[in-house]
Amino acid sequence: MPASAARTATITGMGVFTPVGRDLDQFFDALCVGRSGIVNPPEGHPTFGAVDAAAIAPPIEAIEVLPPLAARVVDRFLLMALAAADDAIRDAKIEIGTDVDPYRVGVVVSTGVGGMSTYEQQSFGWQARGGNAVSPLLYPGFLPNMASARIGIKYGIRGFSSSISTACAAGAHAIAEALRLIRDGECDVVVCGGAEAPFGGTGVAAFGNARALAAGWADPTHASRPFDVRRNGFVLGEGAGILVVESAEFAQARGARRYADLIGWGATTDAYHPTMPRPDGHAAAEAMRKAVRSAGIAPGDVKYVNAHGTSTKLGDQVEATAIRAAFGDSPAVSSTKGVTGHLLGAAGAIEAIATVLTVDRGMIPGTANLDDPDPACDVDLVVKTRTGPVAAALSNSFAFGGHNVSLVFAEAGATAG
Amino acid sequence: MIAEVRTTVIDGLAQMNYDVSDVTGETVLGPEGLDLESLAIAELAILLEDTYGSKFTEEEMSGFTGMTIDQIAGEVAARTAVGASA
Repeated sequence: MPASAARTATITGMGVFTPVGRDLDQFFDALCVGRSGIVNPPEGHPTFGAVDAAAIAPPIEAIEVLPPLAARVVDRFLLMALAAADDAIRDAKIEIGTDVDPYRVGVVVSTGVGGMSTYEQQSFGWQARGGNAVSPLLYPGFLPNMASARIGIKYGIRGFSSSISTACAAGAHAIAEALRLIRDGECDVVVCGGAEAPFGGTGVAAFGNARALAAGWADPTHASRPFDVRRNGFVLGEGAGILVVESAEFAQARGARRYADLIGWGATTDAYHPTMPRPDGHAAAEAMRKAVRSAGIAPGDVKYVNAHGTSTKLGDQVEATAIRAAFGDSPAVSSTKGVTGHLLGAAGAIEAIATVLTVDRGMIPGTANLDDPDPACDVDLVVKTRTGPVAAALSNSFAFGGHNVSLVFAEAGATAG
Repeated sequence: MIAEVRTTVIDGLAQMNYDVSDVTGETVLGPEGLDLESLAIAELAILLEDTYGSKFTEEEMSGFTGMTIDQIAGEVAARTAVGASA
């Protein structure tokens, strides 16, 4: 079925739980003015002494998002996912079971590492005191699928549910899955996105030892600098982003607000190396081309690319090369990771939300710390925030494992459907 | 001994976020009382094993739901006494 004849998907609700805030306006404002969420880890934080800079989200107690009996041994990634889902579902003004058949609602919320730090904590107990120190609640408290499961339980979502574990592309994969479910007619509404809480000592040490993290910055707000010549790694971040995606027809019928439409997706695989991107960017470019084809628009219609842009030497350069290859004339390109850090499995979700707001508000966020654009990144890099209509925009997510995912959003109602 | 085990159980239930304000030795753990689910029963059994060395089989644990807190405390006390005299 050509894209034009397929059911259009639209975004009716969004929720964020990020190092730059829990409120959509606060979040987007931080991206546009360059207000950083990156700090020196305070004493007592699991990353204290291990990294120079971290993007730490606000505190949350389990009791805020779960009933008391369920509020124990629950990993932070689940709490942040639930908080963002609460906000997104409230924002969409939808009552599942009243406004929509629960079997027509799906939930796909992904994560990169799941509840690794909860597992780590329980493992410390096991090593110190043996098996009786391990909680029987561990599995429902750390498994990657539990974000989808617990959101489903909380809201009575009974249709399709799943979780896609593709590291830093996990959030974007979840949103692509939502579009497939809407297009296939499987669901009228899908709650989707990603969540990540990677601040356990073991995991942080592994990233550090892999020399993947930004280092040597006296001011932590300077550490994440996508596309800048002095970039030297990414800043680890935590958080969650959740979107409510609906069939446009269904949203229209219930009078829902449409922020923007989700009109295309593309995914490819590098088939190259477990962590390094394919240097020629061939598969990344192909993901973008597939997404544009899936959207049924011309490459020139894409006015903005929210880059994966993690601030690593090779990754940013390869992405710029891939954007050139996919589009020819470069659309405006920025990376919001300069202020948010890299939220791994949640990155694709919060950046999809940033892209939706870019289209909705006609504001392209600039790239923080892009003081000296790298000539090797030869695209139209957005340093300072620009204003003006953005008819269609694309968001990239690339991952360890070589997973490449691109999503295309457009002004609500502007394309077929 | 029973009073001590009762206190251990009630404290444990409070740790598990159960509302124990009206809980006494006569409170039933199953659907007619606190309505503990299977993982909560499992946690309680681990607590009793850790504190008193009383091991319970899966079958015995499933029987917990029909028992009062004092009945379970009595069971723990009896096993501890047997263990002590052995």
